Amino acid sequence: MRRALLAITGLAAGTTALVVLKGAPGTSQAAQDRPVAEAPVVPGGSAAPGPAPGGVTPSARPGASAKPSAKAGASRAPGTRTSATTRVTTRATTAAPRTTTSAPKVTTRTVTGPVVSYRYGSLQVRITLSGSRIVDATGLGMPLDGQSGLRSDDVQARYSGSSGEVVAKQSANLNTVSGATYTSTAYKQSLQAALDKA
Amino acid sequence: MTYQDTYATGRRTGPSAPYGGRPAAPVPPGVPRRGPGGRRALSAVFWLGLVAAVLPWWLATPPGSLADTTGLLTAAGRITGLVAGYLLLVQVLMMSRLGALERRLGGERISRAHRDVGATLLVAVLAHLALLVVGYARMEKNSILGQVGALLTHYEDMVSAFVAAGIMVAVGLTAVRGVRRRLPYELWHHLHLTSYLALLLGYGHQFSNGAQLYEPGPVRTGWIAAYLLVVAALVWGRLIVPLRFNLRHRLRVADVVAESPDTISIYLTGHRLNQIDLLGGQYFRWRFLNPGCWWQSHPFSLSAAGNGRWLRLTVKVVGGHTAELRDLRPGTRVWAQGPSGTFTAAHRTRERALLIAGGSGIAPLRAMLEELPPGAALIYRARTPADVLLHNELDWLAQARHTSVWYVVGSRDDPGPRQVMSPEGLRRLVPDLTRRDVYLCGPGGLVEEAVRALRRAGVPRRQIHLATFEL
Ligand SMILES: Cc1cc2nc3c(=O)[nH]c(=O)nc-3n(C[C@H](O)[C@H](O)[C@H](O)COP(=O)(O)OP(=O)(O)OC[C@H]3O[C@@H](n4cnc5c(N)ncnc54)[C@H](O)[C@@H]3O)c2cc1C
Repeated sequence: MRRALLAITGLAAGTTALVVLKGAPGTSQAAQDRPVAEAPVVPGGSAAPGPAPGGVTPSARPGASAKPSAKAGASRAPGTRTSATTRVTTRATTAAPRTTTSAPKVTTRTVTGPVVSYRYGSLQVRITLSGSRIVDATGLGMPLDGQSGLRSDDVQARYSGSSGEVVAKQSANLNTVSGATYTSTAYKQSLQAALDKA
Repeated sequence: MTYQDTYATGRRTGPSAPYGGRPAAPVPPGVPRRGPGGRRALSAVFWLGLVAAVLPWWLATPPGSLADTTGLLTAAGRITGLVAGYLLLVQVLMMSRLGALERRLGGERISRAHRDVGATLLVAVLAHLALLVVGYARMEKNSILGQVGALLTHYEDMVSAFVAAGIMVAVGLTAVRGVRRRLPYELWHHLHLTSYLALLLGYGHQFSNGAQLYEPGPVRTGWIAAYLLVVAALVWGRLIVPLRFNLRHRLRVADVVAESPDTISIYLTGHRLNQIDLLGGQYFRWRFLNPGCWWQSHPFSLSAAGNGRWLRLTVKVVGGHTAELRDLRPGTRVWAQGPSGTFTAAHRTRERALLIAGGSGIAPLRAMLEELPPGAALIYRARTPADVLLHNELDWLAQARHTSVWYVVGSRDDPGPRQVMSPEGLRRLVPDLTRRDVYLCGPGGLVEEAVRALRRAGVPRRQIHLATFEL
């Protein structure tokens, strides 16, 4: 039993050590994870080397959900044009709805975010705006079957629709859906880009 | 040779055993030694495996990415999950009775490791479950119970994963010594066998939900390969090898002899017995294929070294199964699994040995005595003179192999035994104690007490070899 206790203590200490080692945010580490995070949103041709990883990092940090995007993998070049630079740098500021800047005339339009590939598939978010207000959102092209389909359904159910979290929050600052981190992250990415365009 | 018969003479109530026709064992060379190299290699493999299990998480997680509590919780949940998955495989592998493991580690050490790993596994499973439920609940701003409900309903394979965790908790709790003692052995054993079910039920969720194992790739492939290897080891060790052994040797009961009022010796014969690679002190798991006993398999040591003509076990009647063995008929077929164990002369570290036996614990020591180099010493503890087993054989062996034998008879509180089983007493009987290997076999209490006395007398731990008739 003494050895079992030792092993259990080892397990606890080992797990804590691993988590702490990975968790501690340090300057060198931030620079290291940034390029991966950047990769998915660099569009086809234009803005290629644009945002120098080191430089953009500090301003991108405050974005609450910057962290899981590191795993999103490379995305296809979106058909619609988006700029990586604006997306990243405006991230923290777009949270507030831009009611003041928009014209008073109420028109309904839809804006589609870029296709974002993530671990289990790819998706694209389309939002419907009435004036500057988001009134509807939906994820397109999400996987339908299997486990990824289940995750997609979870994410759709939580975020999309006229009573979903996107409409409620009017921003891409959404809570990550548990168990669907990658899907949530991809959704938020595409949504953010759509918002930037709108 | 010094031979002292201090308190008692043995008493045999059965017909004499057929050992008599044999010439005394050829004296000098003992069996060659088997070093601890194999054991160390296995332990290295174990630690490498543990690192390999957690490495994918380490590589896939970018540094600095776990800034908030929720991230830390889920990360810890994933790590403990990977560790639990790995330990479960190790647990099952250790129970596969793979010859390579049994030869290098031995049943005693395996069952000790199995207990330690089991306790750690249980804690890892509970931590994995708690950390992820809490982490996900925070992420989703859900209550704990609500989150459990969500996991069970929205996630593939989570129902079976929860059942697997339940099984492991049940198995773990009944393995706690105090609880286990109160349960009938068979109940405990069958409950324990359901852990194979945990292996099966826990399998799915690792791949449908596991962040590191979801995606096809080397990690997922490696993990599945590990599962397949463990299952293959199980089939090999528990089915194929025993099948081959039993088809080859076709053991049968030849004779059952009473050694004392509550002890019997069972003699077995079969084919090609001289080709079994066995050492004195090893044990088999025996299944006596008569209507009352075939469904139970019990471990008993061989009480004589291999001689190519018969095998013998000496069994003390302590419960239902051992009582039934008294009525075995000659000719009954026997299914055996083994030989197992590192409680042998080959695993000694020194030239000389001291053997300490209690009650029926004499069985493996009696067999080992035939293979130890001359000059060994034997202390035999027995409660009453009638409990001294195999008395004549021990006398005969003592002469043939220059062994000193002391019979120490009486209850543990009698002055004689009290005095002998102390550091000073042991040193008086065996002055070069610390330069010997000490082999201990008997009831748990006696073994523990003896270990304590030996340690106080200055015998290094690695020179002490234990067999406690308890798995
Ligand atoms: C490696 C080893 C070698 C052994 N060698 C000998 C020997 O040479 N001579 C001898 O008399 N006894 C030996 N034993 C002990 C023997 O296995 C048990 O006494 C026997 O199994 C008891 O069965 P029972 O149904 O009569 O007793 P029960 O009353 O059912 O049990 C008595 C005790 O034996 C244990 N036990 C019961 N069934 C098993 C089983 N299938 N496997 C393991 N433990 C069990 C129980 O934990 C219990 O504490 C050995 C045990 C081990 C582990």
